[in-house]
Amino acid sequence: MPALIELQEITKDYGSFRALDGVSLKIESGVTGLLGPNGAGKTTLIKVLLGLVKTTSGQGRLLNFELGKQAHEIRSHVGYMPEDDCFLHGMSGVESVQFVAQLSLFNPVEALRRAHEILDFCGLAQERYRPVETYSTGMRQKMRFAQAIVHDPPVLILDEPTSGLDPEERQVMLNRIRLLARDQGKAVLICTHILPDVQSISDSVVILARGRVQVANRLSELSRPAVPALEIRLLGEPARFLEALRSRGIPCEERSKGTLLLHGDPTELAAVIWKLAAETGVGIRSLTPSRNSLEEIFLNAVRGEQHDV
Amino acid sequence: MSEYPEGSPPPAEFTPSAVRPAIPPQNSSEHSVNRLGYRSWSGRLEPMWMRWMVIAAVGVRRAWGSSWLKRMLFLAWLPAVWFSVGFFVWEQAALYPDWHGPAEMLMRSLPPNPVYDEIRDSVDRGDFQTSRHMVWAWMLQSLFRYPQSVLMVLIVGMVAPPLISQDIRSRAFLIYFSRPLSRGEYVLGKLASLWTFLTIVSTAPALVLYVLGVLLSPNLDVIAATWDLPFRILVASMVLMLPTSMLALCLSSLTTETRYASFAWFVIWILGWFTFIAASTATALNSPVVRESRRSFRQARYAMEESSWTHLSLYHTLGRVQSWVFGFAEFQDVLVPVVILTAITLISLLVLLRRISAPMQV
Repeated sequence: MPALIELQEITKDYGSFRALDGVSLKIESGVTGLLGPNGAGKTTLIKVLLGLVKTTSGQGRLLNFELGKQAHEIRSHVGYMPEDDCFLHGMSGVESVQFVAQLSLFNPVEALRRAHEILDFCGLAQERYRPVETYSTGMRQKMRFAQAIVHDPPVLILDEPTSGLDPEERQVMLNRIRLLARDQGKAVLICTHILPDVQSISDSVVILARGRVQVANRLSELSRPAVPALEIRLLGEPARFLEALRSRGIPCEERSKGTLLLHGDPTELAAVIWKLAAETGVGIRSLTPSRNSLEEIFLNAVRGEQHDV
Repeated sequence: MSEYPEGSPPPAEFTPSAVRPAIPPQNSSEHSVNRLGYRSWSGRLEPMWMRWMVIAAVGVRRAWGSSWLKRMLFLAWLPAVWFSVGFFVWEQAALYPDWHGPAEMLMRSLPPNPVYDEIRDSVDRGDFQTSRHMVWAWMLQSLFRYPQSVLMVLIVGMVAPPLISQDIRSRAFLIYFSRPLSRGEYVLGKLASLWTFLTIVSTAPALVLYVLGVLLSPNLDVIAATWDLPFRILVASMVLMLPTSMLALCLSSLTTETRYASFAWFVIWILGWFTFIAASTATALNSPVVRESRRSFRQARYAMEESSWTHLSLYHTLGRVQSWVFGFAEFQDVLVPVVILTAITLISLLVLLRRISAPMQV
């Protein structure tokens, strides 16, 4: 699959501070989560992609447009939702979205029609006629999302798209992003601190720390544990079950009360476990192949353990 | 007659949702008719050079919301009405000798001018053809230099301060510059918003006055004699608009508080004006000829309008360059004012571009 974004040894210095340190990346279509602790260089990386700041060294391409040299072409094809609470003073929601569409060279009438269409999609109802200054955080978030997608860009860069949303709205927003990526084929780069959001919709993950790429891989690959294992949750007293496992030579560890981690091939283990459960009279509540959680991956990455670059 | 019992809810088949496809609601406040989901877009885009016009149009629309601005724009045309009476009187005097008296009164009522004596001589000779160009230029220059310059200061003071300061305050730069928009286009759009209003208060009344003069004149030969005046009007407008609008936007870009930008704008004009008046009056009072009569004091004061004290006042600096534009001064006499205005324009532009880039660099 061709890379939509390809960066080679991108470095960005702000005076003596190095914000990005030799970042090399390939991002393909689908949803990519861009993670990192505060000050990791995420926002700088986004600004570099948009051509808002010049790199100190390195080169890259976005949709075959060269970073820095073809910034206008890149911005025409990218929808950016900033994290900052930015808005156009004195305008209503629909006027703000229309204005942004006009900046993307829609004619005024078509821009207004499209603005309404997109605001419907984003769930901003009659509030769209109110001045933006009176909006709640959630409404502003929806409006910024509408501004990012109004010109139907093939690439979306969303900085904290779910921050400030209540749990229900957050889920709806994630569904919208999922829909755009899967049904409309858009490449989405999500920059967020909310790991469950990334886990729920991302195909790939990039983790930055101290201006460097610590992890860049597909989430399915990253979630796979180094040693295959099976996680089971039991109903009832696990002592006899554990004894039976040990007598069969199956390595296991008790993670918490009633939760066991068995090392070995999950398919082979599953067949044995059902038998043992029947023999020992223990109920099995769940049985799943063990996976690394994104939180573990993230914490390992920012502590300096490099998984896959 | 209703098809279901009165007072009871309508059966499902009569509700609008029964005829709509079953799309799960995203939000209970949404109407079903709007649940179209996301639709990709394809269509024809406008030319690229339109972007600055979008910014200009929004700037004009937002400023137009102020009822004070509308009043000011209305007020800005009143001096033009007064000067149109001047054009009328002059052209009547050219046709009818009875109007020579009012024409002289007109000349006395206009601000002093270095070619006053020359015009007076030709009027005495009844030669209006020769002096027409000078009198028209004199009236147009007076319109620019006095009422319209003051109104320009007031209108720019109302329109310009929020143009950039509010964008900085609401962090709208990310919205602008995440689009394919250059800093130049952004600045041009903001300037164009200002120029629209400045054109309404300066260029348009002056051009209308010129056309009125042509229509009132005895024949169309007057066009051949005064063809250069519309161009001088355009150049005078540029002299008025470029440095002032650039300075106003520069001040707006230096703060997030609109009121500070307004304050700085008016302080620059008022302080400069008062400093010039104080300095020139003191100089005039110390002049030995002034003590002789009140009239010579007035002449000395007017002489000060051409002195180097004018460099202290942006208003008087502009006035001197406009005198040159309308042909009442030599270029070498206004070299320093031209340099000052050029420097103000360039420095303001540089500061402006730097301030616009700054939020992107962090």
